[in-house]
Amino acid sequence: MRTTIVIGAGLSGLMGALALAEAGLRPLLLAKGQGATHWTAGTIDVWGADERSPREAVQAIRASQSYHPYALIGVHAVEEAIARFRALTEASRYPYVGGLERNVPLPTAAGALRPAALMPVTMAAGDMRLGGDVLIAGFRELRDFYPPFIAANLAAQGIAARGMYLTLPPAFRRREYTTITFARMFDDPAFRSEIGRQLRAHRGNASRIGLPAVLGLRDPLGAVAHLQNESGAQVFEIPTLPPSVPGIRLFTLFQNAIEQAGGRLQIGSEVIRGEGQDRHLTTIWSEAAARQQAHRVERALLATGGIAGGGIRADHTGIVRETALDLPVRAPASRADWFAPRFLDPQGHAIYAAGVAADARLRPLGADGEIVYENVAVAGATLAGADTVRERSRSGVALATGWAAGRILAGLVS
Amino acid sequence: MTVIPEDQIEHSLEQSLDYCIKCNICTAACPVSAATDRFPGPKYVGPQAQRFRHERQPSPDESVDYCSGCRVCNEVCPTGVRIAELNARARARMAAERGIPLRNRLISRSGLIGRLGAGPQAPLANALLGFKPLRVIIERTLGIAREAPLPAFSRYTFRSWFRRRRAPQTTNGAPKRQVVYFHGCSANYYEPWIGKAVVAVLEHNGVEVLLPRQRCCGLPLLSNGDFAAARRAHEANVAFLAPYALRNIPIVGASTSCTLTLKEEAPELLGMHSDTVRAVARQTYDIFEFLRMLHERGELRTDFHPIERTLPYHPPCQLRAHRIGRPALDVLELVPGLRLVETHASCCGIAGTYGLKVEKYQISMNVGAPLFETVRRSGANLALCDSETCRWQISHGAGVAARHPIEILAEAYGLVT
Ligand SMILES: Cc1cc2nc3c(=O)[nH]c(=O)nc-3n(C[C@H](O)[C@H](O)[C@H](O)COP(=O)(O)OP(=O)(O)OC[C@H]3O[C@@H](n4cnc5c(N)ncnc54)[C@H](O)[C@@H]3O)c2cc1C
Ligand code: SF4
Ligand code: SF4
Ligand code: SF4
Repeated sequence: MRTTIVIGAGLSGLMGALALAEAGLRPLLLAKGQGATHWTAGTIDVWGADERSPREAVQAIRASQSYHPYALIGVHAVEEAIARFRALTEASRYPYVGGLERNVPLPTAAGALRPAALMPVTMAAGDMRLGGDVLIAGFRELRDFYPPFIAANLAAQGIAARGMYLTLPPAFRRREYTTITFARMFDDPAFRSEIGRQLRAHRGNASRIGLPAVLGLRDPLGAVAHLQNESGAQVFEIPTLPPSVPGIRLFTLFQNAIEQAGGRLQIGSEVIRGEGQDRHLTTIWSEAAARQQAHRVERALLATGGIAGGGIRADHTGIVRETALDLPVRAPASRADWFAPRFLDPQGHAIYAAGVAADARLRPLGADGEIVYENVAVAGATLAGADTVRERSRSGVALATGWAAGRILAGLVS
Repeated sequence: MTVIPEDQIEHSLEQSLDYCIKCNICTAACPVSAATDRFPGPKYVGPQAQRFRHERQPSPDESVDYCSGCRVCNEVCPTGVRIAELNARARARMAAERGIPLRNRLISRSGLIGRLGAGPQAPLANALLGFKPLRVIIERTLGIAREAPLPAFSRYTFRSWFRRRRAPQTTNGAPKRQVVYFHGCSANYYEPWIGKAVVAVLEHNGVEVLLPRQRCCGLPLLSNGDFAAARRAHEANVAFLAPYALRNIPIVGASTSCTLTLKEEAPELLGMHSDTVRAVARQTYDIFEFLRMLHERGELRTDFHPIERTLPYHPPCQLRAHRIGRPALDVLELVPGLRLVETHASCCGIAGTYGLKVEKYQISMNVGAPLFETVRRSGANLALCDSETCRWQISHGAGVAARHPIEILAEAYGLVT
């Protein structure tokens, strides 16, 4: 019987489940659906609100915002999580590079520059400080990725960039295209050779070529190397709109690692309630056909995301709820206090920091600071106290608190 | 026990499309749209096209007929859109508008076909269906693909075996527990040994097996859009089973699609929400779900013989749609030496009767290709899968024998079936 339960399949739930599985606790991960992995860029953004390095920012938070998730777990825990994450991605032949020392400005599909602390090595050559001419290439068939537009916006920021459309070889034409259709094509060496030839022909002076982040699902590292050989330039991926190919790669490598270590994933099962006694969560129920499935709980990790992930729900009356276990939520008292008057207010909007308050062991806290459940840890966007949109810290918070929560529940943190 | 109120079900089906954020995660996961251009994918035919489906107006597109109903889309959707149900209802409306082809009427009546073929006449029926020229004629006239995997009829039905056998004597008076066994068409007409394994495992655990009358669960009718006939089938089954369900006697099945139909597909797609329909749904269990529950209560016998094997296990989509995890893995993990490796291929492609159709046969083989490859690469000469049509497809596509996990469990108990 699996009595170590993780709720949520986003980055925090996956990191937590990995920690618990590696501790031999055979976790069962329940999730309503796929997490933000499938929507997001696939970079790890630790801090990007200002010019400080992620390390400086995380260290400073400890002093200034004691209830911020980074403050709760400390810089050391963030570092540990990143080290484990990098080792995992390396072992899965999809290595991430970077760390807390500095942010790297990477181009978006709108040609803006976005700071990221860690990125898959397939994106690393997108560092816009590197200089030299850049070619941005894409396909007319792939919606929402317009090379001329991206290049024009980069050029406006002083980067020598040019955009062009590639021609889809007739044998690969289909009626509908998504990022996944393209990723499957890039898994095919014949397709890559043809695209590589076109890139070489149009490369001009460019030393680097940016392509949409669809360069294969099976072996992206191999795909990038192949394209570099054919084109004679460095190749990098630029994140697309969802579904996110880098995110799917990440999910898959986590799924394999968790199962290999004895864990189990059950996607498509929403947790709807929990029951406990004496500050101890004893049972949770997930939605299922005809009747709910009961799960006995020894320890549980709540990683259901924030408002976007479905873990926190706010309604038109101003009530803010935690959806899985109905834990107390720290949120503005009334709806009138949700937003600051200005959209881009430097202080951010109060509702964005709403969530479940936790102590240093990430246990959920009630309104008076009392522990609700001793055997529950909360991680990721469900946690209160961080305006991760403004801070550009969402995936960093998810990664670090997910790992920390898993280690705490496994009894590996004193 | 919480019951979803009736209007909530209708609401979640018809209005869940409002939750769609157009992320295309479902399209990325849909095995059919990956395999064919004829199917643009769940987002398009589901929440998107649904906006254009109105009473008294013709269906806006026909491609929804290519949805195999595997429900992979429902599983991954981050916002909980009930895409597969939207598609099934849309298909039924198309069927009502345009009529159902003879072929679909025929292959969806698995109970009738079973009665015709199973029994002493089975060798003849099997020889006929194994006769290539006849299959070519059937393909030309009816549209049933000549290569499609058809199971062989059994010389005897499960029910006739059950009636004739000598029921085990209970040692100390009344047995602890009773269950109704819902065998479905496949165990009755094609694979009676699976029914025997179910009975043997249950009785080994001190459970008495009851066998009231039953009809085909009606799933093939539902997936071919014949909702009127499906309703008749479900009404009949509810009439047969409700007397037991109302006495809290569990209804256990080893065909994941039959049990899913009793639990959810029939009530939700057909809008049947009476108290007896609900009672039957709530008492229905997949066999391993039931055995896992026994284990959780400390009532499952664990006198297993070790089986030193590593086997690929494919959880069929109809099992995943129960949303109960992997009960077969949970139980078989208890057998010393046995290691099952989940395949992670989304679908075998057959989807009940889908892959039998001449226009869909190749799609179904393409959908199943990654699974066949995984099974072949595993090097094992046996694959496990809880659903009959998927087992036939796996054997057909991967060239490897496929068995129900209950057969392995019976073997581990040392039960000869
Ligand atoms: C469109 C979009 C773009 C973004 N872009 C970026 C970016 O570029 N960089 C960045 O750093 N961050 C970005 N983020 C945010 C960030 O990636 C996520 O917020 C962060 O990863 C949160 O991870 P999580 O594990 O806490 O939650 P999530 O990834 O949201 O996962 C929540 C999980 O919980 C499940 N769940 C929810 N409720 C229940 C329940 N009751 N029972 C069971 N399961 C449940 C969900 O199905 C899901 O699996 C973006 C977010 C969105 C929505
Ligand atoms: S996965 Fe769900 S939300 Fe996303 S496009 Fe499909 S139906 Fe819409
Ligand atoms: S049910 Fe299966 S085939 Fe139909 S749309 Fe969903 S994923 Fe695709
Ligand atoms: S789902 Fe079950 S009852 Fe229905 S046709 Fe298949 S075997 Fe028969």
